[in-house]
Amino acid sequence: MSVIDLITRVDSICRKFDKYDVDKQAELNVSGDDAFARLYAVVEAELDSTIEKAESVASAKNRAAVVAINAEIRRTKARLLDEIPKLQRLAMKKVRGLSREELEARSDLVSALKDRIASVPDGTTTAAQPSSNGGASASTGIKFNSNYDGSFDSDYFQNTEETDRFRQEYEMRKMKQDEGLDVIAEGLDTLKDMAHDMNEELERQVPLVDEIDEKVDKASSDLRSTNVRLKDTVNQLRSSRNFCIDIILLCLVLGIAAYLYK
Amino acid sequence: MSSDPDKLVAKADKLTKLTLTRWSADWRNATLNYEQAANAYRVAKKYEKAKDAFEKASKGQEMLTSPWDAAKHMESAAALAKELGNWNDVADLYRRASELYVECGRAQPASDALGKAARAVEDHLPDVAVQLYTDACSLLEEDDKDQMAFDLYRALTAVHIKLEKYTDAAAALLRLGLAADKCNASNSQFKAYLSAIVVYLYANDVKAAEKCYNDCSQIPAFLGSDQGRCGSRLISAYSEGNVEEIKRLAQSSTITHLDHAIIKLGRKLPTGEVTAVKAGTEEGEGLDEDDLT
Repeated sequence: MSVIDLITRVDSICRKFDKYDVDKQAELNVSGDDAFARLYAVVEAELDSTIEKAESVASAKNRAAVVAINAEIRRTKARLLDEIPKLQRLAMKKVRGLSREELEARSDLVSALKDRIASVPDGTTTAAQPSSNGGASASTGIKFNSNYDGSFDSDYFQNTEETDRFRQEYEMRKMKQDEGLDVIAEGLDTLKDMAHDMNEELERQVPLVDEIDEKVDKASSDLRSTNVRLKDTVNQLRSSRNFCIDIILLCLVLGIAAYLYK
Repeated sequence: MSSDPDKLVAKADKLTKLTLTRWSADWRNATLNYEQAANAYRVAKKYEKAKDAFEKASKGQEMLTSPWDAAKHMESAAALAKELGNWNDVADLYRRASELYVECGRAQPASDALGKAARAVEDHLPDVAVQLYTDACSLLEEDDKDQMAFDLYRALTAVHIKLEKYTDAAAALLRLGLAADKCNASNSQFKAYLSAIVVYLYANDVKAAEKCYNDCSQIPAFLGSDQGRCGSRLISAYSEGNVEEIKRLAQSSTITHLDHAIIKLGRKLPTGEVTAVKAGTEEGEGLDEDDLT
């Protein structure tokens, strides 16, 4: 007998004696009557598959694959979160054969399920991390803070340490910037005051310069007219007739002197 | 022409004295001689004689109807008197010089002369200096040259502060503000107002400071300016009795841009009891309640 024959035989025997499997019967019966249980089972199954996919992200090498898987995880999460309110309504409904404690337990189950769905890592936090470690911009710091306010799961414990450090650094840098800005403000105040004073001084000197301008104009015109008159006078004095007379007289004097000394 | 100044002076005196042989004084030659003698004396550092010679030269120029030269000689005489330390003489000579300048119709040099006089005597005769400064400022204001008066007002304020006459100092600052207003020098004007407020606060006269602030706030530009804001913060800090705030404001850059004398006052703020103001207002409120009930 081959293995395949063995397997087929075992299957047929199981099917024959399925009606004697108590657990399975109970499950089938229960899920058959109870819409809540059915829906719960479906949601749980999907959640498990999503968690598996999330785990596969960690091992995925291809960036694009990571992104795609993350996107699918997010879509599934959103869909499951939509199912949750329906599940809660069903949990409220009374079903025959169920005790009161089990009814309350069901709403707890629903909320626990909701938390588990929300906690599935879908890549939004991991995207912020590298930029926060690398850059120092305040905007990424703020985004980080909003995520920080959300969950305190063990998954994120490392992140909160880093956010603390980053937040401290952010505060310190802000303080240093404030100090620098104060210094700049004081310098600008001084500059403004000096500029105002210079402005007033220049305005003070405008009429003075105007006066100087007028006086210089008058003086220069006086000088010009005086020069012209002086030129005329000198020309008159240096006229050729006077010059010739001067030369003749000079020769005469030289002649007389020569005669006297001869 | 002999260069011996004594001889020159003697000669000039002879020229000016009227005798039987001389019916009219020869001022031109006399003045020339006096000037030369005066310069010679100055070089020889005989300040007393030089001063006399300059005075006589100035009189000669007056006779020659040239007040400008006369004024110039007067100023030289006054400068020599300063070297000698005859402070009354200094004041008189400079005054005479400024009158002569006014005769020429030149207000600027006149006020300059008075300013120089005031600066020379302010250490020794501060009241006289105050008078001189005030006269100088009024000369300029009459001539519409307010801009030049700023420096004089500031010097006047410094003298008042040295004499510890704070109301006078504040009054001088307010006049500075008025002069600045006339020539639209708003920065100087606001600084003058803030300085006046600081002076009142230094004299521990908070009411007067408040009144001053309210008066100055009539000018809308002052309210919105840096100096106006600083002033209002000072007044409110005083009325709250907040000493740290006052000290902080005194270190602020707005106060630092004022005059040195005012900065020194500002650094010493607050004087006296600041908390007393708060107690005073509380008592007032108590009385009011009693009256109403």
